[in-house]
Parts: sequence; structure tokens; C-alpha cells
Amino acid sequence: MNEKVLTRYFDIPHLYNIDVYLEKGGYEAVRKALKLKPEEIIEEVKKANLRGRGGAGFPAGLKWSFVPKVDKPKYLCVNADEGEPGTFKDRFIMSHNPHLLIEGIIITCYAVDIHLAFIYIRGEYEKIARRLESAIEEAKRKGFLGSDILGSGFNLEVVVHRGAGAYICGEETALLESLEGKRGHPRLKPPFPASVGLFQMPTVINNVETIANVPLIILNGADWFLNLGKPKDGGTRLFSVSGMVERPGVFELPVGTPLRKIIYEYAGGIKNGRKLKGVIPGGMSAPILLPEEIDVPMDCESVFNKGSMLGSAAIIVIDESVPIIEVLRKVTKFYSHESCGQCTPCRIGTSWINKIVERIASGKGGKGDIEEIERLALQIKGRTLCPLGDAAAMPILAIVNKYRHELEAMLPQ
Amino acid sequence: MPKITIDGQTIEVAEGTTILKAAGQAGIEIPHLCYHPAFPPEGSCRLCLVEIEGSPKLELSCSTVVREGMVIKTQSEKVIEARRSVLEFLLAEHPMDCPICDKAGDCKLQDYYEAYGLFESKFKEIKEKKDKLVHIGRNLLLDRERCIQCTRCVRFLLEVTKTGELGVFERGIHSIIGFYENEPVNNNYSGNLAEICPVGAITDLDFRFKTRTWFLTSRPSICPLCSRGCAINIEFHKGLARIELGKRVFRIRSRENQSVNKYWICDYGRYSYSYLDEGRIAQPFQVINERRTNLSWERMLFILSEKIKSLRIRKRTSRIVIVLNSALTNEELFLVKRLFIEELGINRIFFSDPPDEKGDGFLLTAERVPNRRGALNLGFNLNVGEEVLKQDKIDLLLIFAAHLAEIMPLGWLSTLANQIESKFLFTSRESGLSRHVDFVGPVTPVAEKAGSFTNVDGLNQSFDPALNPWGQSWPEWKIMINLAKEIPINLRYFGRLNSPETIRKVMAEEKLNFSVNP
Repeated sequence: MNEKVLTRYFDIPHLYNIDVYLEKGGYEAVRKALKLKPEEIIEEVKKANLRGRGGAGFPAGLKWSFVPKVDKPKYLCVNADEGEPGTFKDRFIMSHNPHLLIEGIIITCYAVDIHLAFIYIRGEYEKIARRLESAIEEAKRKGFLGSDILGSGFNLEVVVHRGAGAYICGEETALLESLEGKRGHPRLKPPFPASVGLFQMPTVINNVETIANVPLIILNGADWFLNLGKPKDGGTRLFSVSGMVERPGVFELPVGTPLRKIIYEYAGGIKNGRKLKGVIPGGMSAPILLPEEIDVPMDCESVFNKGSMLGSAAIIVIDESVPIIEVLRKVTKFYSHESCGQCTPCRIGTSWINKIVERIASGKGGKGDIEEIERLALQIKGRTLCPLGDAAAMPILAIVNKYRHELEAMLPQ
Repeated sequence: MPKITIDGQTIEVAEGTTILKAAGQAGIEIPHLCYHPAFPPEGSCRLCLVEIEGSPKLELSCSTVVREGMVIKTQSEKVIEARRSVLEFLLAEHPMDCPICDKAGDCKLQDYYEAYGLFESKFKEIKEKKDKLVHIGRNLLLDRERCIQCTRCVRFLLEVTKTGELGVFERGIHSIIGFYENEPVNNNYSGNLAEICPVGAITDLDFRFKTRTWFLTSRPSICPLCSRGCAINIEFHKGLARIELGKRVFRIRSRENQSVNKYWICDYGRYSYSYLDEGRIAQPFQVINERRTNLSWERMLFILSEKIKSLRIRKRTSRIVIVLNSALTNEELFLVKRLFIEELGINRIFFSDPPDEKGDGFLLTAERVPNRRGALNLGFNLNVGEEVLKQDKIDLLLIFAAHLAEIMPLGWLSTLANQIESKFLFTSRESGLSRHVDFVGPVTPVAEKAGSFTNVDGLNQSFDPALNPWGQSWPEWKIMINLAKEIPINLRYFGRLNSPETIRKVMAEEKLNFSVNP
């Protein structure tokens, strides 16, 4: 078995309780960090090659260094919207060990000179939001939050904000709009949030898992972290494995663990000994991989080279019992339903494709429908305001390309 | 100043210019729907994508700022394909009811389809059904099927009026424009929404189904209904071969003027245009015992000049009273000064303007006349019309102010009517005053004449006629010049004047600072 680092103590009952957490060495990282210079922390995180765990895989340290050193309020927004279908790792962290996240928040804010942080959590995580709030209260009482943290002179408040259930609000700029009390519509970039973000102020937006890794890097050093994973992609990742496997769940494994190993070893293989049909390796936006393509190390670069992406590391396993049209339908329905409607190609394109797919599924497909889906998806790809257009087009294109025969068999000959 | 190349043309533009604006400076129009120069770029329609050398993806021209050495292509195969694809998406869910849409002929989506689309529809699915008749306030009707979600209306209400009545509701393909609770659009600028809507989603009840846009001619003018002097276009119908139309003017629309009204006009100025066609007087007439007899301008001016001459010989021009109003142009007020005051020695000159009302804090001012600043600059004492009440010993009364009837007790006029020998009224429309005077001469409203006004901020603006004069209506300057010639008075001076332009020249010679901004 691999050594767990991030989820090391998750089996301990009541870890969310600050006293239990402190017994296990909790908040040691904060004590250590507050004695360091902010630049030293950013350097360490940069060196650790901690890549964003939300989906885009952007190096966290680099992102922090983009924040201008200006005398303006700056904000941290922790993206806990966890909307990518198949992903359920952030809730795992927040419900089991909210203090690890808080610890990460404190260190991040100290490094970037932030005094107000928000946790934007998806509305459905009501219980977890409450757990976070009480954890924040506990931390405050112990002097880890509030003013003059541990006598360092550093002040920080953390606010939990619950979303209202739109997928788009996981997109960082839509998240900012939503947090400002507006409709969750993505913003035009540039300017990027690092310079013009929440309430027009410099803002860092990181995923929960990214932030939760920060205390580990501070405690154990960048080299230790790098050694866990790959040279360009440090640490471990929480893989959310779902679908037709014997043992679905969250698995903490080193970055670069082969996909085949995750499915067949850790998740216990395909359910009822059926045959594998395809794997979506990084949440629903990631292009599907065929059974012969799963010998891939699960790190950002390797999966990208396979024509897919590691994304949120949510692995959805599909076996032979599932008709591919049903997979396609789920995908197109989701993106059509969740398109925010702001820009033309995504608003109308995803709906149009979904209408064609629904028609094929109901047995009313016609000649040329598959080509039409492809054509429309290509008209969305790369042409939308936010990355969600690509997120919709890429999986659709992959399914159509890789399972063309099965789809064509549904059309009248 | 970065130097850039657009479609092979190298130009230099100011730092911070967007590609779309730079292209405009080079005479290249990049199609766009959501972008409006009054607002920051929105980037949602995706129609303005262009190719930038070295950039793998197409980039938005409305928001991308030019950089030194940028090479931009707005007509490459890739760009045209992207434009067609956006148009294809928009039209897939568009109701295509152009034959019954007021916007047809004036519609951006239609224009761009003609220019870049022209494809057969491949959309085989069922279109979304949405409400086609939503009253979103004042004169506004929203057709949600025609809406392309450019959100210009939402942004106008957020950024210009700051009232924020409209918003986007629902999501994705179901997105609709709507208002909150029971609070539809209710501000004095609502009419601009129908104007900035690039398609026929928001239409104006005032214009709806009245005519087709291609029958209309549009001519520039200045709104005379308050002292702001907003730039407008008057849109009128030239008429049809065998069908007589009840009116000429079908709508007033805003015209861009960055130093006054930017892109907007208020609803008061937009919808109060019926005075241009209704109740107009077509010919000069004389009233004898309440009976009207038509006569020519020449005849009427002859009678008037004879009356003035006889008073002049008897040195009794002090028994002439003139009532003016501040809707007269600078040129006309100048003539009043030179002719009536200086040459004829008339000093009983009064102003009668419609009463001030409340301004709206944006464009509409409290003064409901266009040229009060001009009158003040020319040294007129704007003593109110009520002073006329106190006057007696009047032999000749010249009224250049139809508003007089609205602010004066009519009883005054009828009692005075018997005491004053001759009363001339110059007005464009029928009013209660007509019954109490001896002569009525029809004059042209601002829309039908040339001249200049000085607006509330002291800005001089000239204008030309947008409409032909109604019947035999004359502008006031023409009446005064012809009167001077008829009497005759100082022909060497008045003889060379024959248009507001020549009057302006003389004003400049006499160092009256009335240089105008066209």
C-alpha cells in the first residue's frame, strides 16, 4: 500500500474536532509558516510544483506570484464548488479534516498578504458548510484565525459562502461574480483575477485540495513533496473513482500512478467481472479513453499526451453493459443544462447537439447526424468566452470519434 | 502609438485601442452584436472574433487591445467560418419572422446574414418556445424568441440609467430577459432600449406595425424640447403614390454626439413629435369677425409693413409690443435686435416660454425651450410674458410665441383684443390664440428650419432642416428679413441676408461670438 499523506489521519474519528487535530500535530505547519518570510513560502510551493487540483492544473505557486504587491485589499477564494461530474474528493477533505484546509488557507493568505478569505462551497454541501463554519469558530478560539494570529501580527478572517447550485459557478470568474452577489456569468479575461478579481481587487482562487496540500509542503519541504509525485507535478492526488468498479471511492495515490492500476488494483476492477468499455479520466469534461488507452500514468502531462486531461482526477469507469449513446446523452444533457447562456456557441451549440442526441436516442436519428454533432462541437471548441465551451466540446468529440460504429449503428442504414 | 497591420493595411493607433476600434479607424467594419461603444466589451456574441498572427485561437476584437506589430486578419477563411458559425447558431433558434418584425431592414442579424451567412438551415430540431409578447415597461415589448442575449438592454439600465430594471433569468438555452418582481422598466430613457436592441427583440409600441423601416428617410436635427440640445434623427415617410398618409414623422431616434447626449435621448424628446404633423397651419390668414380669410405672405407682410410705417412716421413705434420665446434661433434673435430694437426703436420686448418643469438629472433639463442661453448671450432680458399683462397703449402686437395662450389667462387677450388695433401671431399650430388676433402666419418648427442654438452648457450647435416646411410655413428669420425689405429699412444691411448662414456671417463680422459646432 502507498503511504497516505493528505488523508493520513482521515480514519481517526472526530478529526474535524480541533482538539483531535491538534493531538495529531495540527497547525504545526501554521506555526512554522508564520516564522518564515512570505516569499520563502511562495518559493517553496513553487519548488514543490504543486499543480492546481481543480481541473486546469495550473501551478499554484506561480499563480500566487502573479498577485501584484499593491496596497489594496486582496482576497483568497477557495473553490469548493466541486461541480465536475464524477468528482467527490473536496467534500472528503472538508468533511473529514476541515482544519487541514483552514491551515492551508492561513499559510496561503500569509504568503500572499491576504486578510480575508472565502470558501465558496456548493449549495448541496450544507452539512459540510456547517462543519467548516464550526471549524473556523474553533480555530478562532484557539487563536489560529482572527487578529494577531499566534502573536505574529498577521490577521485573517475566513467566510464560508454557499453557492446556489450552478456548474458554471465553479469557473473561477463566474465564482467571483456569484460571490459578489451577481448572476454567475464568467468574466472576460484578461484581466485575470490575480490582478482584478473579487470586488475588482487582486484575488487568488485555488481548489480545496490544492490549498490542503500547502501545510504538507511547509512541514515536509518541497523536495519531499516532489518525490511523492512527478518532477513537474508534485505530491499525491485524491482520485474519485466511480462507475462500474467493485470498490468506488476516493483514493489518495501519488501523482503518476497508472490508470490501469487505479481501476484494477485499488478500485477492485470492473464490477461483476464485465468488460471495460471506456474510462473518463478527469471528470466529465475530460475526453474518454478506450480500454487500450488506460496504461497511462495519472499526471497532468501524461494524460494530456493521451489526448485527454487529468482534470479533477475523477475517474468514471464505464463497462460494456452501458450503451454509448447513454453516455453521450448524459454528457450533452449536462452541458446543455449547465451552459450559463452568456455566449452564443455554448448556449445554442450545446442545446442543439443535445437535441440531436436525444433524437438519436429515441430512435429517430437520421443520416449525417453524427457528422452534424461533430461539426457543431467543432464550432463550439475554442470559440467560447470561458473554458466550459471546450469542456463540453472535447468529451463529445471524443465519444463520437471513438465509438462512431456503435453510434452509427443506431441510425437508419 | 502602436503600429499594427489589419488586412494588409498598416496603421498607427492610440495606445489602448481595441482591435475593433482600430479596424474602424482603418475603415474595416468587424461585425458585432453585443458590443456597443457606450459599454465595456461583453464578449458574449462571439461574432467579432478575428485572427491574430501567432495566436492559435481566434481572438475577440471588441476586447483585445492592440500591441505593437500585431498582424490582424478580419477576412481570413478561419474568421469568416467562425462568423458564419455564430450566425448559424443564432439563426438556428431565431424565429425568422422578419416579414412581421419591425426591425426588419434595420436589423444587424439580418445584415450579417446577408453579408456572411446565406446558408441553408441545417437545424432539424424543434425551436425553443418562449413568450413573444412581454410588456417590459413604458412603450416596450419584448419578444423572447427573437432575443439573442446580447444583454445590451440590461447593461444600458445598469450603466446609463443605473436603474437596473432588467436582468437575465434562467440559464443556457432557456435564458430570458426579464424584470424583477412587478417593477418593469420605468425611466425617462426606456425608448433607447428598442434602439440599442440589435435585433427585433425589444420593439417600441409607439412604432410597432406603423410602417416598414425601408420607407423611412432619416435626417439629422436637434431636439428642441429642452435646453440640452440632444442630437436626433427625424425619421419620416415620404408618402406613397396613391395613398395619403396621416403623418410624416414616424419616430425620433438618437444621434451620436459625444459632447452632448452621447448615444441617448430621453423619452420626452423621443415620443413628443406629434406636434410636427398635427394641428398645423398651412397658410397665412386674416381673422375678421371670427371668419378666416386666406392671404399670401406677401400680402400679409405688406399690411404689417404699412402699419409699422405709419407708426414710424408718427413716431409712435413705442406703441409696438413684441412677444418672443426662447425657441427662436440665435440668428432670429439677432435679427430681432437689429431690426426691431435698433432700427425701429421698439423697446417693449417680452419673452414667453413654456413654464419650467423638473429636469431628470441626466439629459432632460428644467427649461423646456432650446435656446435660453442664446437669448441671454444676445443680451435679452428674459422678463416673463406676464409683464405683457401690465402693458397698455398698444397699437401693434407681434406674437412669436404660441405658448402664450398656455400661460396667459385667455380673458386678458379678449379684453386686450378690443383695445389693440392690430395683432399678428406667428405660430406653427392652431391654438386658442388664433381667435383673438387679426393675422396668423404659419412658421416652421425647428425640424423644418436651419439655425443655431446655445444649449444649457453654453455649446452652440447649428442644424439644418430635416423636414420640408408644412404648407406655406416660413421660418421666423425669413419673416423678419422680408419685413425689413418690405418697409424698407437699411437695405444695405438687411439686403445681403437671405439665410441663417448669411446671418451667422454677419454676426461673426460683428464679433458676436457664435461660432457653432455642427
